[in-house]
Amino acid sequence: MSDTLEDRLARFLSARLGDADTLRVVRLERSTEGFSQETFRFDVELVRGGAREVRSYVAKREPPAGLLEPYDLEPEFRVLHALSDDPLPSPPTPFFERDPAVLERPFYVMECLPGEVPVPAPSADGSGPLSDAERRALAPEIARALARLHAIDWKAAGLGFLGAPAPGTDAARREVERWAERVRRADLPAPPVLAEALLWLRSHLPSADEVTLVHGDFRIGNWLIERAGEGTRLTGLLDWEMVHLGDPLEDLAWCSCLLWRAGGPNASCLVPPEELATLYAEASGRKVDPARVHFYEVLALVKMSAIMLTGIRAFRDGRTSDLRMAIFDHQLPFLMAGLAMLRGHFAAAGGS
Amino acid sequence: MLIPPEALIDGCMRTLLESVLPDVGSRFARGQLYAVADVLRNLRDRVEPKASLAEAESKSAADALAAAIAALSEAGAGEAAARLRSAAAAAPASAVARAAALESAVTLAFEALEAVPPAAGEAARRALVAHLVQQTLRDVAQLKPSLLNEISKG
Repeated sequence: MSDTLEDRLARFLSARLGDADTLRVVRLERSTEGFSQETFRFDVELVRGGAREVRSYVAKREPPAGLLEPYDLEPEFRVLHALSDDPLPSPPTPFFERDPAVLERPFYVMECLPGEVPVPAPSADGSGPLSDAERRALAPEIARALARLHAIDWKAAGLGFLGAPAPGTDAARREVERWAERVRRADLPAPPVLAEALLWLRSHLPSADEVTLVHGDFRIGNWLIERAGEGTRLTGLLDWEMVHLGDPLEDLAWCSCLLWRAGGPNASCLVPPEELATLYAEASGRKVDPARVHFYEVLALVKMSAIMLTGIRAFRDGRTSDLRMAIFDHQLPFLMAGLAMLRGHFAAAGGS
Repeated sequence: MLIPPEALIDGCMRTLLESVLPDVGSRFARGQLYAVADVLRNLRDRVEPKASLAEAESKSAADALAAAIAALSEAGAGEAAARLRSAAAAAPASAVARAAALESAVTLAFEALEAVPPAAGEAARRALVAHLVQQTLRDVAQLKPSLLNEISKG
């Protein structure tokens, strides 16, 4: 029996997609966008009683090593599976498999949603990834989607297994310690800017008045969109690897922070951060406390530092041959400059 | 740089031979790719980090630590000053290791300041923050424009 990835996926899906006479996996391609998990897009050709049907899927597989190790895809799968019927455009995700006999490492399969993923980087001509009309159309829709995500009744959806923080500062404390632990585990010399930021975070934990589902990576680059000028629309929310329960403003801060502005002034290349905050406040009915957002923006850069350090460690140890992990060694100084700016160091030192 | 040049070159070799080569169709292109691999593996043991960069880093960190130690002593935070003095003095002589040790001492300095009343630590913090700013500017100045967009889109 042949043992290509296509054949193995076909055997897996044949047992789950029911009564097809034949099932073939075709046009399988590894995606370049996801830096963490291995992502494969493919079509399934089903023939039933002479009728041919094509369905598009995406498989996400744990990498041997990577940015968010140690990996466990199951919580993410359980969240996506639970949200499969929610109006939120998360990809319906029917299948998870942990048995290494199938694809060597755990993976899940989700339906492929329409659209493209704009990335937060300027084009060759210096323009951003979205036109003005696209930004105008998307910004309110993104704010509404985030508000909807935070309105999900996570208890009723059976998502309590994610672990709810206690009221007060516990949500912030948990996230700071989660990422501090990853910095520590990377066992690399932490830049002093990062060490200082961690000290500041620990002594400025904000109190959250409610606990919601938090996507954890809600930003341009994880949105599927269909471009149509002022009719541009959001068709999918991707990459739920960092989903957890916590302070909803963490998502707003992550989406607004320096990382996703492509060198411009706009939160996730959409609108200025204050405008996105206003749109989110209107959509959610929630008050947006600027001090809390600032705390989570500093945490965002610390979190990205921890992710990069983890990738650098995996590459340095030879546990991954993915050269994209190595480029983080060249991205980290930009991140430290951003963190220094956000902490007010440039202003304190009289610089720009 | 957190990845030593040898590890970086080893990684480039792995990527070329394991991830790129299988998808290269033309014989000429495959030959060129093997030539790149040959160049890289012979380069591997001949490169090391630029000492002048590490020396600039060491000088900046040592100056900041000296200013912080003086400021803490003057403000009556003698114990914190002594800890920093001892950490700075323990830095080895070789350029790269010295820069790393002094950077650790800067981190230690920020930790020490947590236990010092804000007013007493203010001048020391100013000196350390000025170093952080200079450090980030030096590091960023070394970088070439990112190809992240191309890397993401393929």
